Amino acid sequence: MERQLNTRCVVTGLGMVNAIGANVEECWENALAGKEGIDHVKSVNADNCYANLGAEIDFELPKEEEKDRVSVLCLKASGEAFADSKLEGSIEDPTRFGVIMGSCVGGVLSIEEYITNGEKTEDINKMTISSIANHVATRFGAKGVITNVGNACAAGAISVAYACELIRAGVADVFIVGGADAFASVPFSGFHALHALSENPCSPFNHSNGITLGEGAGAMVVESYEHASKRGAKIYCDVLAAGISSDAYHITAPRPDGIGQMYAINRAIEMSGLQKSDIGYVNAHGTGTAKNDETEFLSLHTIFDNAGGDLSVSSVKAMVGHCLGAAGAIEAVYSIKALTEGKIPPTIGYSAEDLDVLKEKAGEIDFMPNTAREKELKAVMSNNFAFGGSNASVIFAKDLGEVKETESDEEVYITGLGIVSPLGNGVENYVNQINAGNKVSGNSVLAEVGKDDFGKFDIKMAFFRKLDKFSLMQVVSGLEALKEAGIAPEEGKEEDYGMIIGTGDGPLTTVYEFEDHIAKEGNENGSAFNFPNTVYNAAGGYLSIKTGLRGYNVTITNGSQSGLQSVGYAFHEIKQNRAKGMLATGTDENSAVMQKLYGQLGLVADGDAKLYVNQSGQTLSDGSVSVALESKSSAEKHGSKKYAVVAGYGMAHEGVKYGEIKGSDAGLKNAVTMALSMAGISAGDVDGIFGLGNGVKDVDDIEIGLVKEMFSATPVINVREYIGEARAAAATLSVAHAALTLSGDLAADQDAFVFENGVEVKKVNTSSWKNVLAVAQGTGGTYSAVVLKKAE
Amino acid sequence: MNEKELQVAEKIKGMLVDNLRIPEEELDYEIALFGDGIGLDSVDSLEIISCIDSEFGVAMTGVGKEHFYNITALTKYVVEHME
Repeated sequence: MERQLNTRCVVTGLGMVNAIGANVEECWENALAGKEGIDHVKSVNADNCYANLGAEIDFELPKEEEKDRVSVLCLKASGEAFADSKLEGSIEDPTRFGVIMGSCVGGVLSIEEYITNGEKTEDINKMTISSIANHVATRFGAKGVITNVGNACAAGAISVAYACELIRAGVADVFIVGGADAFASVPFSGFHALHALSENPCSPFNHSNGITLGEGAGAMVVESYEHASKRGAKIYCDVLAAGISSDAYHITAPRPDGIGQMYAINRAIEMSGLQKSDIGYVNAHGTGTAKNDETEFLSLHTIFDNAGGDLSVSSVKAMVGHCLGAAGAIEAVYSIKALTEGKIPPTIGYSAEDLDVLKEKAGEIDFMPNTAREKELKAVMSNNFAFGGSNASVIFAKDLGEVKETESDEEVYITGLGIVSPLGNGVENYVNQINAGNKVSGNSVLAEVGKDDFGKFDIKMAFFRKLDKFSLMQVVSGLEALKEAGIAPEEGKEEDYGMIIGTGDGPLTTVYEFEDHIAKEGNENGSAFNFPNTVYNAAGGYLSIKTGLRGYNVTITNGSQSGLQSVGYAFHEIKQNRAKGMLATGTDENSAVMQKLYGQLGLVADGDAKLYVNQSGQTLSDGSVSVALESKSSAEKHGSKKYAVVAGYGMAHEGVKYGEIKGSDAGLKNAVTMALSMAGISAGDVDGIFGLGNGVKDVDDIEIGLVKEMFSATPVINVREYIGEARAAAATLSVAHAALTLSGDLAADQDAFVFENGVEVKKVNTSSWKNVLAVAQGTGGTYSAVVLKKAE
Repeated sequence: MNEKELQVAEKIKGMLVDNLRIPEEELDYEIALFGDGIGLDSVDSLEIISCIDSEFGVAMTGVGKEHFYNITALTKYVVEHME
């Protein structure tokens, strides 16, 4: 059975900051006036670089304690959107209020600060993308789904799409969404190394000789129409639909045939219920690189030529630069302003000669050279394309349209697993190790990926040498899960399968090493080879390239729990018929860099970490675990093994200071309550819990407290006991281990913790278990919970 | 190769192993670096240009691709253009 998802999603608040304005109004008026925000860079040393331009924000930003500039930018735009929406005081249930933020480089300025200015402990928690959404959630009181999208330059656009999916799924009412990135040496040096920076201000669809980097943030309040109208909110527009896809082609360059982009654009149009001719304006990605512009010309002409419409296209990047993870959010805000004001901002920078050339390339599309124009618009589209082959297209409209999204009541099964861990690689190996009672020892352990894995999955040298360890682990675990599930889409069906990559720290080691290198050798000496691996979605991009899966492909990052949230996210993709099968993964890396950072934070045990006994340290570990999820019909079609049913999912946040977790107990309880409710069971029905404790007292205490309060003597199995704290990988492994328990692959008798009378370790027999719960945490107070049921 | 050429070739080989993660056992001085050989791409060539510039002070931006064919070709170009 399928039901129509009629829930309208509307935009009720806007916020923006970039090189040409400190708020939406300024950014908008200056864009209409064609003001260029590009100048010689000041915050980054470009002395020996062939290009030295950027669109930096040169006005003072609000003072914020203990936050990276990316979060300062994000809080500024979010604050404006929040105020604009008049949400304050009108949130009845904060657990249905979420925050989703996109970013490409996150707190990379804090990595630079750490390396170049005394390695201060206070900079460590500002380094990753994870903290951004946490700061926004804690500031504005959001206690629902809190996460960040790490899909590089498409991240801001994907945040809008994900929020609408969750609202339509009925698990949330309102979100602050958007994206932010700050001007920094790492992306400047990286794009410089790739020769992708333009010597002159970027010139999209015109000279197309490179990008000019910018910085900023965009934010929107997106909520259900019901929620907005009940509180009498001003409504800007509807978000009708989005399309998300992966090129499965190249880690930095777009597919020359444009099929990835075109799938995203066509999917958005199809789901919106609109005709192509209803789209009056496309805010293009328009980076100004030859490859981007060529592919985008091709996609736009292929889709919109002869569609009977009157299309205008522009790229604001000629004014505000390429704001990376903020681009999709900033450009969504510009698109919404264009729609609601009936005015379109131009692409600036055309000379008289350029205009003659443009005529040829533009055909029947108006590419809006140099001057803004007034135009009555019914619907607009914002497109963003990114490293990793990530594509996103979002449609905003004045009217509600006829949204075609549906939801299936089919069960979602776990049909394949892939495990890379310090106990070795492969599911069979994991089962053998656990059944033999083996576990890691010491306070820092490492997974290894090598020749055996490359041979097993036919990974050629020309491919694997490009990947850092983070991506290698993800590719190997992903390939195993797909192989186990028997997922191999036939030609023409590649978009039916996708992946949600979860990670806490992402490629922090690679970013750190890149920054360390340019801090010593100069920004002119960045590594073109390593730069592509500094984006968080590189791993998902490589896996897409290797597998040919071209469907939904998103990387989420909010602490360790990202590896459990990915399961919930992927579950929604299948339920809402955007995919027949999805990989949900968790990947995090250990390295000398991570040992140094976690050690300095005081989170690493002295020797073997011991769980739940008031210790203050973890066994720092790494790995990658992938879980293949499929709809029942898809699983049965190719006879996949059914490990377990994914029956419920919940996510909640109880904001505490980022870097801490104490005091956020209510977040875990809310996440668990939501997951049980969705699964239609009560706490008493849970036979076993796959826990989150990692040996750090504040973390362990929250879990012990919850189990005592809600579950009394229900046994807790914890995978960190076997493989250490592999962060997101351990979170996904909780689900994998739970599935292997329900399926009977693991021996029935397992060691478990019982908290009824202190902390006891008991042998429990799991053979009769029907319902289990997996939980995970993220620093700052974010939790995910997943309920699995035994497959019949 | 003479002694100087051998030195340069060995350095280039080490750079390809360290910076482009090519397994050492796959490399000799003659194997084609691009195409059907090692399978390097345009991003790798940027890295090679950057490394040769900083190691030997030889600029190879815009240089014909025959000079990138294998380690021997790179070595020949570098030795000819070193100060």
